[in-house]
Amino acid sequence: MFSKPGSGPAVLRKVTQEASKVDPAKRRDFLKKGLMVAGGAIAGTQFASTLHASQNNLPPNLPEWSKSLGAGVITNPYGQPSAFEGGIVRRTVPWLTADRIAAISFTPLAELDGIITPSGLVFERYHAGVPTINPDEYRLMIHGLVENPLVFTIDDLRRFPSTTAINFLECPANGGMEWRAAQMDALQFTHGMISCCEWTGVLLSTLLEEVGVKPEGKWVLAEGSDGSHMSRSIPMEKALDDTLIVYAQNGEPLRPEQGYPVRIFNPGWEGNTSVKWLRRLEVGDKPWYHREETSKYTDLLADGRARKFSYVQEGNSVVTFPCPEKPLKQKGRYELEGLAWSGNGKIKHVDVSFDGGVNWKRARLKGLVLPKALTRFSLDFTWDGSPALIQSRSTDESGYVQPTFTQLREARGNSSIYHKNAIHTWRLHADGTVTNVQIS
Amino acid sequence: MFRLAKMVYVVLLFTLLVAAMPASAKAGGYGIGTPATSDEIAGWDIDIRPDGKGLPPGSGSVEDGEMMYEQKCASCHGSFGEGVGRYPVLAGGEGTLTDERPEKTVGSYWPYASTLWDYIHRAMPFTQPQSMTDDEVYAITAYVLYLNDLVEDDFVLTADNLASVEMPNQDGFFFDDRPDTSNTACMKDCKDPASVKITSEPAIATLQEEEQEVEVEQVAEGGEKVYQQACMMCHGGGVAGSPMTGDMAAWAARIAQGRDKLVSNAIVGIGVMPPKGGQSQLSDEEVASAVDYMIQQATQD
Repeated sequence: MFSKPGSGPAVLRKVTQEASKVDPAKRRDFLKKGLMVAGGAIAGTQFASTLHASQNNLPPNLPEWSKSLGAGVITNPYGQPSAFEGGIVRRTVPWLTADRIAAISFTPLAELDGIITPSGLVFERYHAGVPTINPDEYRLMIHGLVENPLVFTIDDLRRFPSTTAINFLECPANGGMEWRAAQMDALQFTHGMISCCEWTGVLLSTLLEEVGVKPEGKWVLAEGSDGSHMSRSIPMEKALDDTLIVYAQNGEPLRPEQGYPVRIFNPGWEGNTSVKWLRRLEVGDKPWYHREETSKYTDLLADGRARKFSYVQEGNSVVTFPCPEKPLKQKGRYELEGLAWSGNGKIKHVDVSFDGGVNWKRARLKGLVLPKALTRFSLDFTWDGSPALIQSRSTDESGYVQPTFTQLREARGNSSIYHKNAIHTWRLHADGTVTNVQIS
Repeated sequence: MFRLAKMVYVVLLFTLLVAAMPASAKAGGYGIGTPATSDEIAGWDIDIRPDGKGLPPGSGSVEDGEMMYEQKCASCHGSFGEGVGRYPVLAGGEGTLTDERPEKTVGSYWPYASTLWDYIHRAMPFTQPQSMTDDEVYAITAYVLYLNDLVEDDFVLTADNLASVEMPNQDGFFFDDRPDTSNTACMKDCKDPASVKITSEPAIATLQEEEQEVEVEQVAEGGEKVYQQACMMCHGGGVAGSPMTGDMAAWAARIAQGRDKLVSNAIVGIGVMPPKGGQSQLSDEEVASAVDYMIQQATQD
């Protein structure tokens, strides 16, 4: 039903082969752990060591790796994560979409620290798959209600002054499967349509100044060059504010999955507006009302009317530890962690409840607290083995307080699909496991 | 004397600086980029607006659209726009927007007919975007409008009348007015503890299910991997008249034509199947490996 961890077919076959040699009683455990390391090409003998942590490598003994040489430089010209971390991968929910070409995958939030999402783990959303674009054949056209319609190459774009910003990127359907009821028992699937990267490019305002927008130009159409030719109407106020034309992500060229070689990026706004594989910007005097801003990405309310151009991703938060993927294994001291974000600016504070929202404690914000970026929060706690209903609630600098599910449903009903940012509840059981629930 | 020399120097320097600035610098002043020619713009400028701006000349009838729809659209959207599997439902759903399970279709939800023309032209058919003529797009748009009872069966859609097609839900949308909730950051005794009840839990344990399925996971390689990427979408369900994978009867006559013929069909396309199943980045060898996989599936016990 769900995609499996591990990405390298050859490695998976090896796991399967190795599994056949193992005591049947241990086979299940073997496959589970073997798949956790799949994704990196590691030898069968090394698997054994991952399965049975050898006493020989623990104090007071000298571990194997201390008595030999390891691999030399550029063994991996482009470095890869440790083979032991092969379970940290994007996953999908196949029944969500008709196929894998127009589909979505989820970021493994439970496995990540800090606020930056590694480029290879940023959730994917395609409408016609990932196109292969030779950067020498790339062009960005800006035309419409402008004085000088222009075509830019990558080299052209890189000649303009660049801007770098750390911002979250979130699909407005993030958590959409939970509108009617708790459905997904994993943080990766309840909240994994979000990531946060350092984006570098040229401000759209700089390019619009270069082409010279005519006074009647009030909207910008952004259009992709993939088979879907994704198109969204963006108001001029945003285009002249912080919209970036991005060519780099986390210090390197954009990943193909993220729009290589160039995407538009609208900080704090629904991810769909940050059109990938950008080929064209047209300035007009009215919005275009294309498929992705009428049929999709509009929010149907209980009374049958629908909210349109609901661009901003409002304040949100979720506890990332403990969570279904990261249960508590014993009683004692812990640091609860979570992520908060708001498309309206910085996170001001985050509160945490262990009793389903009756009483709250102020969490601390860790590391960088940036506008329109993931913000990490934490709270020390001691677990005495009692069950708990764990929640987090963010407040952003505009004063917006993340709503309860009851409040959100009262305002919108159950059919909005998009922009579900309600306070989330994890149920901590007496055995330390964690499940997804909704509460009154 | 010395002072004069300095002044001359400054003037000279200023002159040099001005001369060094690009002559083409206008508007924004960087002088970067190449003017877009009208031909270049015409080739890429495909967007259509509700008022009809952007529509190319042309026309298409409901009658013509029926055949084209059946050939190019019905495999995913169903002959009556009812949708196949998880592919979008196009017709029906009138009056369901306030239901517990609303059916959002072209007729029940979309505010403008222009969106239909724009999207069909921009992105459809799914495996061959922008492969249709303008008249074909007019005809298929007309037919989808007809499937939604929005036009009569003798209707002919043109650049001039598209903007006047009235959509039932045209006034159903309003501009973003959020925030629409107003929670407060209460810290203590915020509600009656007795009122806290679990209202829903996932019906299935997601993670356990994942682990169980791992044990029976068959890993795709070679032809099977290519098949999953390029062919399964249609052949997996036998849609669009394609022989379904593993259906021996459907494949027998085709296999009788010989492997080479099947491989060449797959590479150049046949019927509604685009070349390489629409995945032009695949090598001929990769396509052949997928054909071999499908032959194997149809001939094994």
